[in-house]
Amino acid sequence: MNLTKTATLTLALGTAFWAAASASLRAADMEKELNIVAWPGYIERGESDKNYDWVTGFEKETGCKVNVKTAATSDEMVTLMNQGGFDLVTASGDASLRLVAGKKVQPIDVSKIANWANVDKRLQDAPWHTVDGKHYGTPYQWGPNVLAYNSNVFKEAPKSWSVVFEEQNLPDGKSNKGRVQAYYGPIYIADAAVYLMKKKPELGIKNPYELNKDQYAAALDLVTKQRALVGQYWGDANKQVDDFKNEGVVASSSWPFQVNLIQGDKDAMAKTPIASTIPEEGATGWADTTMMHAEAAHPNCAYAWLNHSLDAKVQGDVAAWFGSVPAVPAACKGNELLTDTGCDTNGAANFDKIWFWRTPIGKCEAEGTCVPYSQWAKDYLAVQGK
Amino acid sequence: MLNSLSNLFYRRPQLLTALLLGGPLAWIGVVYIGSLFALLIQSFYHLDDFSGTVVHEFTLSTYAELAATANLQIIMRTVVMAALVTLAASIVAFPIAYYAARHARGKWKALFYLAVMMPLWSSYLVKIYAWKLILAKEGIVSWIAATLHLSWLLDGLLSTPIIGGSSLSFSYIGTFLVFLYIWLPYMILPIQAALERVPNDFVEAAADLGATPRQAFRDVIFPLAFPGVIAGSIFTFSLTLGDYIVPQIVGNSRAMIGQAVYTLQGTAGDIPLAAAFTVVPMVIMGFYLLAARRMGAFDAL
Amino acid sequence: MRSEAGWGLKLAAGAGIAFLHLPLALIVLYAFTTEEKSFQFPPPGLTLHWFSAAWFDRPDIWPPLWLSLRVAAIATAFALVFGTLAAAALSRARFFGKDQLSLLFILPIALPGIITGIALRSAFDIMNLPFSTLTIILGHATFCIVVVYNNALARFRRLSPSMVEASMDLGANSFQTFRHIVLPQIASALLAGGMLAFALSFDEVIVTTFTAGQQSTLPIWMLQELIRPRQRPVTNVVAIIVIAVTFLPILAAYYFTRQDEHRQG
Repeated sequence: MNLTKTATLTLALGTAFWAAASASLRAADMEKELNIVAWPGYIERGESDKNYDWVTGFEKETGCKVNVKTAATSDEMVTLMNQGGFDLVTASGDASLRLVAGKKVQPIDVSKIANWANVDKRLQDAPWHTVDGKHYGTPYQWGPNVLAYNSNVFKEAPKSWSVVFEEQNLPDGKSNKGRVQAYYGPIYIADAAVYLMKKKPELGIKNPYELNKDQYAAALDLVTKQRALVGQYWGDANKQVDDFKNEGVVASSSWPFQVNLIQGDKDAMAKTPIASTIPEEGATGWADTTMMHAEAAHPNCAYAWLNHSLDAKVQGDVAAWFGSVPAVPAACKGNELLTDTGCDTNGAANFDKIWFWRTPIGKCEAEGTCVPYSQWAKDYLAVQGK
Repeated sequence: MLNSLSNLFYRRPQLLTALLLGGPLAWIGVVYIGSLFALLIQSFYHLDDFSGTVVHEFTLSTYAELAATANLQIIMRTVVMAALVTLAASIVAFPIAYYAARHARGKWKALFYLAVMMPLWSSYLVKIYAWKLILAKEGIVSWIAATLHLSWLLDGLLSTPIIGGSSLSFSYIGTFLVFLYIWLPYMILPIQAALERVPNDFVEAAADLGATPRQAFRDVIFPLAFPGVIAGSIFTFSLTLGDYIVPQIVGNSRAMIGQAVYTLQGTAGDIPLAAAFTVVPMVIMGFYLLAARRMGAFDAL
Repeated sequence: MRSEAGWGLKLAAGAGIAFLHLPLALIVLYAFTTEEKSFQFPPPGLTLHWFSAAWFDRPDIWPPLWLSLRVAAIATAFALVFGTLAAAALSRARFFGKDQLSLLFILPIALPGIITGIALRSAFDIMNLPFSTLTIILGHATFCIVVVYNNALARFRRLSPSMVEASMDLGANSFQTFRHIVLPQIASALLAGGMLAFALSFDEVIVTTFTAGQQSTLPIWMLQELIRPRQRPVTNVVAIIVIAVTFLPILAAYYFTRQDEHRQG
């Protein structure tokens, strides 16, 4: 092969790189399917447990065959959406605005969604999916990032996040060094900011996702010091359950999912009883949004799913399976799987104490110019490496 | 027809070569290498921090960013880990391969073969999670240590700076052990293949000429088996260099190259920096392969 | 002549083998644990329940298993054809750039999976190939070819050219020569390469993550199960089933390659 030819060809391929990602989408003549990127456990068709099935009925009714690609992390979700080929994604707040900014998702016409009226009013215009008055998706589920603790060590619930941020002796007389965990995602810097809002009011933090240079530096400094206390950062919920059980972790930011899982396990509770609280500083939380790809090949099926996903029965079932709070308040009552206490167990009463995850962007309301998420990501990677 | 075609090939061997090579060459040579080049090109763009979008203009600023201390640490950490895993794997693999190739016979030989192949066939992920249970603070190793009244030894090991941690599964020791375990068969197989090719006559000749078994090993067997070690090391080194699953499950959360690439091209959306990170293993493996070819390792891969 | 192995060698080899198998023993043990979602040591109790659960209650196991088998089989078949062709060409021909070319052929296995994965994903995009079973197969075939190529190349180098010439002199055409002279001599190398390629493909996670669409191969299914387990021991049961099912083919392949090599002397 001629060398110049090879070079030209590779260059041509190179120029088209990534940019051509969207071209791989081809509209089907007849919409008979729907491709969704979702968190594991978000879209169940009764294969694991016959009682948890909110897909089969939808498929029968609409003729849209649902294909689910589960993603373990927000990183993976954004990667998949960037690469294309999907109609919907259940994006968390640390991914949603990035998807909007990257023009990977499209605005939703809520008038086409009959169940929109059921959505919790407090979530309808939430800033992690509403940009310039346009809705880029429908709320799906939410939950707080609670402080989970070992109740053998803490006879009383810890009142402050300081137990995970600052080196100290815990009530059992031993240091917290190596016995606490922090979330692995860069969005965790916001947890530090929430703590600093109370702890250092002079910084003037108004919103943990909108930090100017100084405020950001203070938060980064706090998580850097925290590195010395953390043995391993937690990323996947189930692995954290193992860490509470087998690794001597006694306090960490966590989700109701992990807490419920351990509390439902008699052996684990006998050995390492876990409880959870929301400390006085408040907490961060996640609220997931079902968003539609900018070049969704099956928009009609997608709209049908968006409506279906806001059905009270579906919402309640998902919340019961996932350990989350439904975005539709009506789902909290009369659902067999969730039971009437389910929403409270999963943290529904804490809505007002929660700063919901959203992607920090450069242009922000509180401070004018804020440190953007790409910087958070780089710095947090460096913090974990220290 | 078939005959004339055959004659044509016999008379024009270049034609046959071209035909044989066409398919795989087009795939690996054009598509695969082309997209590697494309990845390389991406690393010369940069991410606009304010808007979070990629600016498609030639710049070296992404490489300047790659040279930041934190990123260099990621690279160093990964390379050192890969080198140590490779070294340890060759040390652990050699006796197994040597015994299997030169001593085991009949049923024993079959058994050794199975013993090496079986771990290769059991799921990578299930194996990693099994290791988590072995290394956990309340896992098997510490259970054995406690039973044997050796907990002080384990605690001492864990309090060692750098390699220690709050438990084995939260430390470099844990990451190292799991890597070593997962890639070990890839080291054993090429060494064994190289050793089986050492003709017995050579060894006998060495003995006849008065070499002690030790001398025969050092001067005859080992040099002939060394290309096998190099071949195995290509696997263990490169697999360790790019893995992002093992260090995430077992380790102290200090990122390795694979994790950095995965995070940067995912949520952070910093594709130029992710691409610059991928250039590191490409360059390292490039030099490694050139060196390996010099040592004749490709005959033993 | 083979001397008796020293105790040091025996000990080192034995310890190495034990190291390789301790985790496997654990995988087997935890297929019987009574815990459902998270493991602890020692297991609180033992049960056979998960085997029946895997068989009767979990229809979601079989499509990924079937897909993985299909992908591995096709990718390996692909690799056997093209890897052998490439090895044949590069072992016999002499041309400019051959050394560079042979180096190039090692790259897919010498570069970390995450690089191969990202690179291929972008290539598929550019070629307008929707992510599907086909793209998974192409991704796997890329590194499977290399494995077969390496095994075949080593054997081709030892193949005596005089036998091929003799065959041609006796009137056989190239196809007959390949069928009757070359193939029997390289068969065991191909089998060994094919086995390794199949094993690599069957257990591949990283490249698959980037080249798959909505399809789950068995390792991807495992990943999902381990991230949000419902019946965690079921993953162990599946791992055991895979080991058990592959046990005999590995053994058969071993005896086949042995006999073949003995015949060759």
